[in-house]
Amino acid sequence: MIGTVSAITGSNDGELRVDGISMRFGGLKVFEDISLRLSPRDILGVIGPNGAGKTTLINVICGKLAPVAGHVFLGGTDISGRSTHTLSRMGLVRSFQQTNTFRTASVRENLSRAIRFSSGGAESWRRMDELLDRFDLAHRLDEQSDKLPYGLQKMLGLLLAYATTPKVLLLDEPAAGLEGRERTRVDDFVHHAQRDLGCAILIVEHDMDLIRRLCPRIMVLDAGRLLAEGPPDEVLSRRDVIDAYVGAVDEEDE
Amino acid sequence: MAFASARNVSAPGPGEIASAVIVALAFAVPFVSDSQLVYSLTNQILIAITASFSVYIMLRMDLMTFAVPAFMALGGYAFAIASLRGGITDTIALAALAFAVPALVALPLGVLVLRLRGVYFVLVTFVLTQILDLLLFETPGLTGGSNGLVGMPPTTLFGLTLGDNRGVLFVAAGLTLTATLITAGLTSYFRQHFAAIEENETLAQSLGLITWRYKVLGFVVAAGVAGMAGFALVNMLLTAHPTSFSPISSVNYIGYAIIGGRGSMLGPIIGSGLLVWATNMFSIQGEYSQGLFGVLIIIVVMLAKGGIVGTAAALWRRFARRDAAAPISPPASQPSMPR
Repeated sequence: MIGTVSAITGSNDGELRVDGISMRFGGLKVFEDISLRLSPRDILGVIGPNGAGKTTLINVICGKLAPVAGHVFLGGTDISGRSTHTLSRMGLVRSFQQTNTFRTASVRENLSRAIRFSSGGAESWRRMDELLDRFDLAHRLDEQSDKLPYGLQKMLGLLLAYATTPKVLLLDEPAAGLEGRERTRVDDFVHHAQRDLGCAILIVEHDMDLIRRLCPRIMVLDAGRLLAEGPPDEVLSRRDVIDAYVGAVDEEDE
Repeated sequence: MAFASARNVSAPGPGEIASAVIVALAFAVPFVSDSQLVYSLTNQILIAITASFSVYIMLRMDLMTFAVPAFMALGGYAFAIASLRGGITDTIALAALAFAVPALVALPLGVLVLRLRGVYFVLVTFVLTQILDLLLFETPGLTGGSNGLVGMPPTTLFGLTLGDNRGVLFVAAGLTLTATLITAGLTSYFRQHFAAIEENETLAQSLGLITWRYKVLGFVVAAGVAGMAGFALVNMLLTAHPTSFSPISSVNYIGYAIIGGRGSMLGPIIGSGLLVWATNMFSIQGEYSQGLFGVLIIIVVMLAKGGIVGTAAALWRRFARRDAAAPISPPASQPSMPR
């Protein structure tokens, strides 16, 4: 298995490096001078209060928005300013905070489109089986995607990203809106993508338990700047981080 | 055990196959009738079907086009000029030319405009039709200006002259069948791409689809299909004249497609057949028919989004479901059925 993965990802192929990027909407500064590095199989959590610039960070890295300063590198190639579809084809794929599927199409048709648009084939289909089974979607392949329960629509969104055989996954609040029991599916998904595809994964999330479970390393954004970085236990016990998060951490932590 | 697998997602569906069969029936008209009225009506309906397929292709991607008369004019004038100046009479060569000229004009235009949002595209197609209308009047050296072009020799096919009423109808039927096959081939092979662009362009892009490329492809083919309608129209009228391609006539073709039903190729066929027939029956020519079509489009958009075909299909499904007391199958996505 390891052998196949390194054959897919290559040596330095899947490394994401973000170098001092800044983003501004007119006069409104969203974030400034953010840098990070993700090697294949790395999992990085990005947390911060609402409005800290987390989703915009994903939008900039995935090519939806161009940064006003700084660069993004994928496998050593400067990809700043390239379009979303180009980056997706290079293996940098994002998921969405809201449910985001082809609504009137069936689950199967959704997956079929993801695989076809990313030039995948029978191998991509085979790779879906285990996750479809685990997420309770295997027997719902012919159901229309917007008729699925909310939690399953979100999981389908993650599976669509997975179906493109990504090297780097950017997950925008994958657990938002899910019930407690459903949230462990996100863990399953992340571990699966890490193990089977060798993905580097960036997770923006508010669920601190999930962050602690999954991420050996986290970044805290506050009002567009990097407040802290390091292992979750260390970072989440810092006074300034707790203050920035206004008690949200206290509740779940202490 | 494999749960998921690809299904044949790019084969023509029942709607596309039925469309080709219905259009092919037009070849039988000369054998069952020699009424001038029937010939004329069939010709008009065939031309309307071809032109509204051009609208239909763009509607697959939720793009509204007002450029059909412009591309029809390019196809029609390309035929007239090649025939008068180049002495070309071979129907197949002329049809290829009538497809290629508007398609080549659409290519750079599409590359420029289709990267922008849909609303700019609509505006550009509208302006294009206005500009081309003006150009036809202002370049008498090439297009005959307000006199138009007349005196084209009859077209030929494998040595046969297709000059009489039957011949003209055969040409129109042949062009329409070709346009039907092109439209069916394009929209079924790229069904997933077009549907993804229509439904969720952001998601399609983030899954790796180069959306503007497929929009340009659709636009280029739609232009070519409209050009074939222009060829058939000029061939029927025996003249290429600006008034045949007035900008306002774009409303007619949009009307045929939307009122008939935008969800299936049968929609433009039914819409063209019914509305062209009704226009002739009630002799509502000129601006009155466009006013009527406008009202009908508003009614369809507000009350019956699927148009005639879509509404009929929905009613049929409802009855079928009521009849079936047995376990109801889940609503499998049936892409060729009108929504």
